[in-house]
Amino acid sequence: MIEKIVNPKELRHWDGRIELYWIYTSGKAGDEFFKKLMNEEKFLAAKCKKCGKVYFPPRIYCEKDFSETEFVEVSGEGCVRAFTVARLDAYEKPLEKPEIYAVIDIDGTDGCLIHLLGEVEPENVEIGMKVKPVLKPKNEREGKITDILYFKPL
Amino acid sequence: MEVEKISGLKFHKKQDVAIVGAGMTTFKRRLNETGRELSYLAIKQALEEAGITIDDIEMVVMGSAPDTFDGLHMKGEYLLDGSGGSDRPYMRVFVGGGTGVFAPIAGYWHVASGLADVCLVVCEEKMSSSHPHPQSAFKYIWDPILDRPLSPNLIWIFALEMRRYMHVHNIKHEDIALVSVKNKGNALDHPCAQVAEKITVEDVLNSEPMALPVRRLDVSPPSDGAAALIMVAPHIARQLTDNPVWVTGVGWALDTTWWTNRDLYFPRYVAEAAKMAYRQAHINDPRKEIDVAEPYDPFDYKELHHMEGLGLAKKGEAPILTREGVTQRDGDLPTCPSGGLLGVGNPIAATMGVKACELYWQLAYRAGKRQVAKEVTTGVCQAWGDLMQVGTVMVMSNKR
Ligand SMILES: [Zn+2]
Repeated sequence: MIEKIVNPKELRHWDGRIELYWIYTSGKAGDEFFKKLMNEEKFLAAKCKKCGKVYFPPRIYCEKDFSETEFVEVSGEGCVRAFTVARLDAYEKPLEKPEIYAVIDIDGTDGCLIHLLGEVEPENVEIGMKVKPVLKPKNEREGKITDILYFKPL
Repeated sequence: MEVEKISGLKFHKKQDVAIVGAGMTTFKRRLNETGRELSYLAIKQALEEAGITIDDIEMVVMGSAPDTFDGLHMKGEYLLDGSGGSDRPYMRVFVGGGTGVFAPIAGYWHVASGLADVCLVVCEEKMSSSHPHPQSAFKYIWDPILDRPLSPNLIWIFALEMRRYMHVHNIKHEDIALVSVKNKGNALDHPCAQVAEKITVEDVLNSEPMALPVRRLDVSPPSDGAAALIMVAPHIARQLTDNPVWVTGVGWALDTTWWTNRDLYFPRYVAEAAKMAYRQAHINDPRKEIDVAEPYDPFDYKELHHMEGLGLAKKGEAPILTREGVTQRDGDLPTCPSGGLLGVGNPIAATMGVKACELYWQLAYRAGKRQVAKEVTTGVCQAWGDLMQVGTVMVMSNKR
């Protein structure tokens, strides 16, 4: 049997809270990626100058051989490598509409991106399905990963 | 220093350990590069200096202080790909501010044990992510019931320690300020320095009071940065260089977490760690046998405190040596020739760049404009951290 968690507030107790927040930078490669996405609706990957591996999202270095990379443009389209249909939110409350999260193999690269699928019903999603990104209207874009609303079937 | 027998220290080394390359990024208050990018940049330099490639690296040790700075839980895993850790044995170690010397100690275990012949050690810190201020993260290191309701911050804890040190030995603030003047001046010759400056004792004494006796110029700044070291077995060192620098002793120790129950005026944690390292390095009289030192200097009084813990000065004697110029770059015991944390910057774990890396550069005669005047054979570097309780010490020598 599992012992139930009792209310710790029944004991003499002290409340605590960690009041911190963070401001992250996307770095050299990340900055180029997001600027290109926001301003030009284009997708950047990075190709290793030595082994030719293409990183997506881009990095300034090759993880394998530590050589420098150069930016290359890709379409942003790809195909579904794996997916899940989320029915509960992070607090375990039922979602009004199920959300489909997919790992997407980005064409012309050795990399993948995790993002939402849209304009498709869960029962119609298949592994290997070709998808393309749908972006926010230009005036609403902020240079963030959420500038991509979702990927939809091609 | 009183030499005591350390019971239980048994040591069976498989092979000696040499350092053959080091690198570091610039230290700045705020850098655009991600922690992964910073790690990569530091490693790239170290590999180039050693004349090897990432393929030659067998194992990796990553050092980074609390996750709260970068704002990433399991920061070690996050940093892995920029740290050369993919597809090889990789571990993260951290003992707060002591990490800058503890990470190379962990690298030493890897090679000395014979598990690896080539080990990369990389340290990273990106403090600028943390808000409202990097200092805010330190509010949560205290006991949540006894200390935290009083809203302590690190500065006033150090102020208490500095006051006690000054009181016990009757030390004037003027004498302590000389450390800040020296280190910020030394940093003028460091290409990575954040707060290098020609200042005077008066500048320190008139700078903004933070928690007296601590004033603004007594303190090192928070920074972003990374540093890397390559540690290898003797047969590899022989192939790469005629002048390797050998790690001859390592030591680490922690004092009680009940910081209020400590002496405050003397860093026992450093003394214990130093005893361990000196015993291994066969050093009996550190003041005579150590040619150059890089003690941890996040505050100016801390350099003095740590010199005494390292046995480089008798208790209360470090300010006198400083006043007499002994610790200047052209002195008899050059201390923090890098410019230290006070001058180059304080990206917690990445201060390895001004401690272990600098000591290697000094002993390899690769320190350029920072090279100390005297002939050097043996040196010591040290860091300090956790809840002001850990001492980490490494002794190096250019003679095997
Ligand atoms: Zn490559």
